[in-house]
Amino acid sequence: MLRLWNAIACVLLSAAVPALSASSQSFENSAIVRTVDLGGSLVHVTTTFAVKALEADASVYTITLPEDEIFNTSWLEVKVKGKQQPLTVTYSGAPAGSNSHNLDVSLETPLEVGGTINLVLETVQTHATWPWPQQAGQNDDQSLKYQTSLFVLSPYKTNVQRTKLKSSSPRILSYTTPEKVDDFTLESPVTKSGATVTYGPYNNVPSSTNKAFIEKYQQHIVLHYVYEYPVIEVLDLKRTAEISHWGANLNIQDDIVLHNAGPKLKGHFSRLEHQTQSFYNRGGSHLIPRLTVHLPAGIRNAYYYDLNGNVSTSHLRVAPSVRNQKNTQHSVMELQPRYPIMGGWNYSYTLGWDAPLGDSASYDAKTGKYIVSVPVMTEIPGSVVDRAEIQIILPEGATDVDYVAPFPSLSNELSTHVTYLDTLGRPSITFKYKNLTNKHTKPIYVSYRVPLSVHLRKPMAVATVLLSLFTFAMVARRVDLTIHKTKTVSKKM
Amino acid sequence: MKLFAFLSFLALPLAFAASSDGKEKLTSLAASGNGVIKLNDEIFDLLTAPSRDWSASIQFTALDKRRRCAPCKEFEPSWNAVAKAWTTVPAAQRDHHFFATLDFDDAPGVFQKLNLASAPVVWVYGAARGPYQTGKTQPLKYDFSNGFEAGPLALHLSNHTPVPIPYKAPIDWARWMTVISGLLGFALTIRFIAPVLQSRWTWAIITICTSLTMTGGYMFTRIRGAPYTGADGSWIAGGYQNQFGQEVQVVALIYGTLAFSVVMLTMIVPYQSSPARQRLQIYLWSGVLMLVFSVLVTLFRVKNRGYPFRLLL
Amino acid sequence: MPTAYPLPTNVSPATVANTASLLRIVAFGLISAAAIASRLFAVINFESIIHEFDPWFNYRATRVLAAKGFYEFWNWFDPTAWYPLGRVVGGTIYPGLMATSGVIYNFLHYFNLPVDIRNICVLLAPGFSALTAWATYMFTAELKDPSAGLLAAAFIGIVPGYISRSVAGSYDNEAIAIFLLMFTFYCWIKALKLGSAFFGTLAAVFYFYMVAAWGGYAFITNMIPVHALVLLLMGRFSGRLYVAYSSWFRFVGFQPVRTSEHMGALGVFGLLQIVAFASLVRSHVSSKQFQNLLAISVVTMGVLGAGAFVVMTYKGWIAPWTGRFYSLWDTGYAKKYIPIIASVSEHQPTAWPSFFMDLQMLIFLFPAGVVMCFRDLRDEHVFVIIYAVVASYFAGVMVRLMLTLTPVVCVSAAVAFSTLLDTYIDPTEPEATTTEAPTAAPTTTTTTATATPDSKKIKKAVAAAQAGNSASSIASSTFNDIVSATTRKGKSSKSKGIWGADARLAVLLNAIGMLAFFVFHCTWVTSNAYSSPSVVLASTNSDGSQHIIDDYREAYYWLRQNTPQDAVVMSWWDYGYQIAGMADRPTLVDNNTWNNTHIATVGKAMSSPEEIAYPILRKHDVDYVLIIFGGLLGYSGDDINKFLWMVRIAQGVWPDEIQEPNYFTPTGEYRVDDRASDAMKNSLMYKMSYYRFAELYGNQNAVDRVRNQAIPKVGPTLDYLDEAFTSENWIVRIYQVRKEDPLGRDLKSANAFEQGKKKKRSKPVSKRRVIVN
Repeated sequence: MLRLWNAIACVLLSAAVPALSASSQSFENSAIVRTVDLGGSLVHVTTTFAVKALEADASVYTITLPEDEIFNTSWLEVKVKGKQQPLTVTYSGAPAGSNSHNLDVSLETPLEVGGTINLVLETVQTHATWPWPQQAGQNDDQSLKYQTSLFVLSPYKTNVQRTKLKSSSPRILSYTTPEKVDDFTLESPVTKSGATVTYGPYNNVPSSTNKAFIEKYQQHIVLHYVYEYPVIEVLDLKRTAEISHWGANLNIQDDIVLHNAGPKLKGHFSRLEHQTQSFYNRGGSHLIPRLTVHLPAGIRNAYYYDLNGNVSTSHLRVAPSVRNQKNTQHSVMELQPRYPIMGGWNYSYTLGWDAPLGDSASYDAKTGKYIVSVPVMTEIPGSVVDRAEIQIILPEGATDVDYVAPFPSLSNELSTHVTYLDTLGRPSITFKYKNLTNKHTKPIYVSYRVPLSVHLRKPMAVATVLLSLFTFAMVARRVDLTIHKTKTVSKKM
Repeated sequence: MKLFAFLSFLALPLAFAASSDGKEKLTSLAASGNGVIKLNDEIFDLLTAPSRDWSASIQFTALDKRRRCAPCKEFEPSWNAVAKAWTTVPAAQRDHHFFATLDFDDAPGVFQKLNLASAPVVWVYGAARGPYQTGKTQPLKYDFSNGFEAGPLALHLSNHTPVPIPYKAPIDWARWMTVISGLLGFALTIRFIAPVLQSRWTWAIITICTSLTMTGGYMFTRIRGAPYTGADGSWIAGGYQNQFGQEVQVVALIYGTLAFSVVMLTMIVPYQSSPARQRLQIYLWSGVLMLVFSVLVTLFRVKNRGYPFRLLL
Repeated sequence: MPTAYPLPTNVSPATVANTASLLRIVAFGLISAAAIASRLFAVINFESIIHEFDPWFNYRATRVLAAKGFYEFWNWFDPTAWYPLGRVVGGTIYPGLMATSGVIYNFLHYFNLPVDIRNICVLLAPGFSALTAWATYMFTAELKDPSAGLLAAAFIGIVPGYISRSVAGSYDNEAIAIFLLMFTFYCWIKALKLGSAFFGTLAAVFYFYMVAAWGGYAFITNMIPVHALVLLLMGRFSGRLYVAYSSWFRFVGFQPVRTSEHMGALGVFGLLQIVAFASLVRSHVSSKQFQNLLAISVVTMGVLGAGAFVVMTYKGWIAPWTGRFYSLWDTGYAKKYIPIIASVSEHQPTAWPSFFMDLQMLIFLFPAGVVMCFRDLRDEHVFVIIYAVVASYFAGVMVRLMLTLTPVVCVSAAVAFSTLLDTYIDPTEPEATTTEAPTAAPTTTTTTATATPDSKKIKKAVAAAQAGNSASSIASSTFNDIVSATTRKGKSSKSKGIWGADARLAVLLNAIGMLAFFVFHCTWVTSNAYSSPSVVLASTNSDGSQHIIDDYREAYYWLRQNTPQDAVVMSWWDYGYQIAGMADRPTLVDNNTWNNTHIATVGKAMSSPEEIAYPILRKHDVDYVLIIFGGLLGYSGDDINKFLWMVRIAQGVWPDEIQEPNYFTPTGEYRVDDRASDAMKNSLMYKMSYYRFAELYGNQNAVDRVRNQAIPKVGPTLDYLDEAFTSENWIVRIYQVRKEDPLGRDLKSANAFEQGKKKKRSKPVSKRRVIVN
């Protein structure tokens, strides 16, 4: 149920508005088009509802998602087509009998009778595909299966709806042919053209959230397709961001446990075959030879090591630091694991870097507070992060700490972190997340106040240490001299 | 297993019947050859007969001058010693194991048959049947990695003989005599050499010489048994972790000279009474120091190719 | 008094003293800096990483200590080592090293300095090298004067002989042991000089530290008694000696002394008591008689003691010398009876180039320094002399004992060198006198005494003199000088000194040149020979940039990440500690080679054919077999080159089954190509090394770059193991041991069956692996 909760949580990102009652007569869908971009660990689903209002000032449109999909969904957004601002979405319980869930979208402006609007529902599903066959030899292809339901459910009548499943390669091994859909269509219920499989168009679909319809028509469709990229899964991500005003430095360190979720390697790894493959570069599609990640611009001394020390095989191209926040440049880091990660193998590593604090922090003069933005995660292309823990360590003695998260976390806590020459430790905030995707690479904003006295604390501490060392040295010198004296004495005797 | 033992027990008398006469022959031969049976083709076949209820250790060797087999000659005495030791065993066990020697010139055929390319070789044939029978039919090779001494040989062969070989290393009278006489001589002459012994410089010489030989790599040549010079007469061995006997002397001499010139400069020259002489000696010894040191470095460059530095030379 | 060059006159002695001490401190600071810096090559060239093999265990143990505290550490039983036996770590190691870094770790963390324990371990050795320099300074200062001390400190700071075992990352017992050694010796001679029980006790304390830190403590255990004994024989018994020795021994006596290493100390202690008693008698008898009495009693006591010692050892009341120590005396012993010891590279005897490599010019300054020790023969000089002889013998026998030789070489070389400098910097010029030398020679006995031993020198002198352009006048004068100089000891009636500045300049420039050369040499040796962490190999790309060959860590990390936690890994013992440390998996054998049979078992498995090895592997539930193979890269330290030792060690236990000669060709060559002997070709090691190696080369013929031999086209096949992982450059190859065939066939036939099927199949490799999974 956590998953569900998580999905819902993602939905309820803004203050819940009073849910207006939505009756099934207020709208009709002139068209529903669902496009599924089949990927490895991520599947992007875009559903476009062409909505026509049947009642006056109908302002709440209800979207229904089947339960299994809601379990998979880790990110969800509804927009009016062509608009940037996402609409407010609220959870409004499950319709009786159908194991599905309703989400109420409240439109900005109520529609007049006959008024139309195009709503775009965008979701990202994680762990929605599974490798089949579950084992693959070193130079076999990897193929995945994806399952979804045939009809897009809607409490409203739908004139025409179709579902497009897009694979990255035209090699689609098999797909389900739906039955009992003659009521909706006359020509073939499913067509395959190139890399796309299209279900529908199905005409005149009645309100489908009721038990009757679901039991009669709703069915699962499964697509078996060849996927040519590795299925990367980050089992654990622990990000530590440490802010230092003295060094004007933001240090970010990621401890990552990587897993190749593709088909397990059948038999054993043969270096010989691997080398031949990479020589003729026709590598097995499911191994991860290297990772390319985009780090912020202007970073300094990046490091990449694992439990056995530094990993020497990596390249970093640093882009110059640019102050304004919307620079699109990146430093590109090419990480090569110690060994190619075959299907089912694990690899854990630590990646860290220093970034100029100015690029991500600003000082608000009138509140006297610093505001620092720390990105939740750095995207590893096409990967899902199962568990993430982000710890932000503020300067020593920072007070009235406040933060704004882009989306709610499972949990977050305040703690104290003690490190080099700290006298009273540093406040730190920890956020926990699940199933993060490329949609979640948004910054967390933390604001805090640092009094001057605290700024001076560290130099004082260091000064005392140095002073004590100096006195020790003086004493040592005295001792040294006495020894000389005794020696001279001993020489005489 | 029990049954098996039982069978062998049954087989025992037969075995005796079969090979008793052969056995007597061997016993007598062994007795006459003072523990060692001198083999030729047919005695060899008899000794290694598949129906044997005895075990046998055979030394394949080539003692003839023309064969020029130095190790054979080196190994011969210890072999005989061990064999002799075996004769002292009570007959009951003794006659279940024979020591034999097969010289190449007596039975080259055997060598070809066993395609033996080198000598000396020691093979142990286990008993094929009888109380001491071993499962193995293949003879076991004795490994000379422990050298040609009799001690380890006896120790190893004892694994295959009915009872351990009662071999004892003979007491080296000569050594004892020399030691004792040396001590006596020392005791007698102590009065005269006492002053020498009490002089610190005697000990200085001893100390210096010891440390010079040691740092010259003497122990290396001792332990590795490195030759005095190379086969091709070269006195300096190639390779960083290798050296010949002569190198010890050369290097020790070089070190000695260098040390000596330093000693001269520090302990002798300052006491020089006339300025001219002193100046001359100072330049002389400094020159020696520089020159010999550069020789040393050159020598080292020969041993260690990668060495980048050089002095005058 | 005429001077060679003008001196400032208006300087108060106090100022001079202060300046001197200040300069001393500054110089010493610089020396420490140099000592530490010159050990950081490895960190700069590579990274902060633990080196070699043993350090990996020490590091692992230290982590346990830091994480769980000392008590936990002390009774730490490590089940993953020596599987299935396990290993009691707490009792069987020298905890001194771990304890030291544990203390440092806790100290730093107390002050909120969360330094990584790894960095502490890596940098411990350089840190202690500075302390060693200090101890050497004190020691040499006792011997001659602070200036010599500074020289000695500088020498030992950068001399490769010591750096070789104390670069950053070589986290081994020697790292701290040498400091303890030198400081114990310093305390000892200090105690001897002052006759102070305090320093004697201090010596004992540091001796304890040493005992806890390094197996080489037996060196101290015997050095000090020998020194005391020699002093006795020289008739130099004194209250100071008595106090110093007793106060040292009283503490040493606590520990179990029933081992041969400690017998000497005990004997000398007894002897001292007797002599002390005798010195009481002294007052009653006349000195002459007393001398005889003393000599006789000493000799008899010595004889009796030795006899008793022999008898007791024979009866087994005293534990005899351990193999390692014994192999120092009987050099043939190790190779014959304990091949494991002989197989270790650092137990090989030392050829002279290593001496020069490690000590350079010190190696010939060292005898000169010893000579000077003979000149003014104080008690501490006797100590140095004994140390010199013993250590140079040991260093000759074992490469690793170069470490014990290095300090004394530095000390005496420093004495020689600073004497040289003193002589030629000292501005005072003697007034020319023309006294004939022989008149200075006092008594006839001494002349004979000195003339005889010097004959050798004289010959050399003559030769040398004639090499110089001057005639026999110099030769004779040299002779006179030698005689006079050697006989003149003590009394400085005759003025000594150097005339003129040019001579001074010549010698000094020469000396400075030598020092500079020494520095260059040390830097070169350190950076090239002693600064590579054998875990990581460096090579250079075609464009000259450094390329890191990281196969070890690649393979170890693969093991760590992709095999079950309890998978047992079998490898040759060299890699045991690294596997435990980096792969975190149980191992059969590792670098503390306490169980010969277990190692021999591994040796046997490696050197026997598959079908014999397989039961052994299964019996020890081995899951993975790891070998090192350098053939592709030309990495010569691989297992095929160590293979003969495996064979020998196995042969020691199973002489009938494994025999070294079988692994050579009939002509006695060690080959791996098609002329290799059958035993070689069928051995597990050979098969694992060259499995599918030839295929890598396609249709041109495969060459083993280490042995420089062509590998047969048709490579070996494996029926009982599967290739599980091979590192990038094929240096590490890991094989998985198959489980028994589910259909109960023996794997060979099962495999043959699959091979048969494979002919018809299109996916060969994957299919025949199916049996296993």
